Amino acid sequence: MSTDPWIWIGAFLTLMIFSFLFKDNPFYKFGEHLFVGVANGYYIALYWHNSLKPNLFDPLSAGNYLYIIPLLLGLMYFTRFIPKISWLVRIPIGFMIGWGAGLAIPAHFQAEILRQLEGTVITPESFTNITAGIWSVIIMVGVVCTLVYFFFSREHKGILKPTSRLGIIFIMIGFGASFGYTVMARVSLLIGRIQFLLGPWLGLIR
Amino acid sequence: MKWYEVISTIDRRIIYVLLTVLVILPFFTRVTIPQNIMPQTQRLFDFIESVPPNDKAVIMTFDYSPQTMPECHPMAKALLKHCFARNIPVIGVSFDPQGPGLAVDAITSVVDRINHYATSKEDSLVYGKDYVYLGWKSGRIAAMLDMGESIAGVFPRDYFGTSVDSFPLMQRIRNYKEVAIAIVLSAAAYPDDWIRYPQTRYGVNIGAGLTAVMAPKYYPFLQTGQIAGMMSGMKGAAEYEKLVLEHGYARELGTAETGMNSQSMIHILIIVFILLGNIGYFFSRRQK
Amino acid sequence: MKRIIPLFICLLIGFSMIIQFFIPHPTSLEFGSTIYKWVIVLIVFALVLAIGNLIRHHGTKIRRQKKDWPYSIVTLSSMIGMAIIGLFWGIQAESLFQKIYLNVFAPLSATMFALLAYYMASAAYRAFRARSLEATLLLAAAFIVMIGFMPFGQYIHPRFPAFAEWVMRVPNMASQRGILLGVAFGAIATALKIILGIERAWLGGKE
Repeated sequence: MSTDPWIWIGAFLTLMIFSFLFKDNPFYKFGEHLFVGVANGYYIALYWHNSLKPNLFDPLSAGNYLYIIPLLLGLMYFTRFIPKISWLVRIPIGFMIGWGAGLAIPAHFQAEILRQLEGTVITPESFTNITAGIWSVIIMVGVVCTLVYFFFSREHKGILKPTSRLGIIFIMIGFGASFGYTVMARVSLLIGRIQFLLGPWLGLIR
Repeated sequence: MKWYEVISTIDRRIIYVLLTVLVILPFFTRVTIPQNIMPQTQRLFDFIESVPPNDKAVIMTFDYSPQTMPECHPMAKALLKHCFARNIPVIGVSFDPQGPGLAVDAITSVVDRINHYATSKEDSLVYGKDYVYLGWKSGRIAAMLDMGESIAGVFPRDYFGTSVDSFPLMQRIRNYKEVAIAIVLSAAAYPDDWIRYPQTRYGVNIGAGLTAVMAPKYYPFLQTGQIAGMMSGMKGAAEYEKLVLEHGYARELGTAETGMNSQSMIHILIIVFILLGNIGYFFSRRQK
Repeated sequence: MKRIIPLFICLLIGFSMIIQFFIPHPTSLEFGSTIYKWVIVLIVFALVLAIGNLIRHHGTKIRRQKKDWPYSIVTLSSMIGMAIIGLFWGIQAESLFQKIYLNVFAPLSATMFALLAYYMASAAYRAFRARSLEATLLLAAAFIVMIGFMPFGQYIHPRFPAFAEWVMRVPNMASQRGILLGVAFGAIATALKIILGIERAWLGGKE
């Protein structure tokens, strides 16, 4: 059994949270509220040291007055509490949204549309191996049908009806496969905690 | 109550107890069921095998949090062992604010163990020469892109506050031109940004070590080669541990491999319960 | 003016980011990087706003002695304590801050997520029913992956793991790519609408 007080703290907190499985209780509530507090405290210190200080206060104190712009933009967030000038909050929001939108267009286009379409199109090379060729055909059919299923601008009638039906079949297989993987993920997290309790704390396993 | 009603209304507490027992039990049995290796794990391993020693570096990004440690931590350790055994320098970075503590833990535990068994000074790993950890940077997209021009420009100091220019490794590895692959160990959509930005602009090779929840989403990128290889969840980590052990790069298996026995038990349990629920449903519907 | 200025800023920044992406000239890179540093600062200000809300919420709870108010003291004091330790004694590797992170924050957050294993097992048992063709397919794919990826899968049939891998690599991949493309097209269309000022919901309000 561990003699390190930190390990004991970790173990007790782990058991506090697990106690929720029995029912909601003061130990769980304590752990939950402690978690929210510590997490926010962690972010405050981290963002100060690694974000605000090097990206705003250091450049400003070094005489780089260009950084007054982000400072002013940031302060505008707080105008939402002053009714008369509350519209100013739209300026930093507009800045952020414009930036995100502008960055998204070329990046999505190159990495997700062009390259993914390249990988879908069937070429003579796809058939160098016959089974690989068949899989390529299935992939292309699956991609097209899935896209058709999500195409809501037109009613799914005529050719669109069977195509979108095939689309939903592919989607269901995809979701099922994802569920299978999710089981593995969630169980892993539990195994991790049990490994901690049995190993570092109780010393029962290596 | 009919038998089919009984099997479809089992109390949740029974499931909880069974689940707990079946996770714990395998730790006390000595059975190890051999792992099969998934192609994407093999691809990542082979990629690292193809990197010449003492040449280009591998960037490892520690972008996971304590929640997903059981999946990503063993991946990190297995990868570190592989790189160090093949004399491939490693540069660690984090873009997730929760990464640094875990990164330092993974790196020091692997390095300490290797140095413990080292017989000569040449066999020992030296910080700044064989590996560095540069710490966390907010604003990952700009950082990822700027690292293509100068890594030291983005991280002037390492996590411990030392000037990066003072490290022999960082004098040699200036930007992505001297990087063989960036392997993203992550529990969130960080690989997307690596693919969208530095790969599109600088052509960096990207590898991934992802939680099992995320893995299915990245198969399209594996097929196009935008991701060179991938470890998925605890299974991917266990496979990598096995590959590293089989090639003589490690002395023992890691925590993922031992966890896989519990995984198997729980998978069987969940399948059995889903089947029970469905059998109950099927018969109760027939009765109606 | 209350709408035109924000819309113009959005348009200006949006277009310059698109143009900037295609010009790998040092000046353009420098510009992109500066704008991004400003964005980082703005994110922090938004975070300040969020933390302000949290303090207000728990402060009110304590003042009015609402249900479970003593727990709000736990949240506020641990937040302030953790922040002070980090701000004044540093956040480096061997610091008290990191010790608390690894031994308090990490076990709490990891265990919260570990609870999901129990809920998932119980929910799967209760809700996973083969009611229709779609649900049956979903269930079948889930079983194939769950069995195929576990070490015992190979004892059911030596090629079972390869079959599970095929499900991931072919039908799953096709649907994931379909969704990926759909999302990418959608994201680009929305981004364009925002930059051009067609989509203005983000402005909120009437004026």
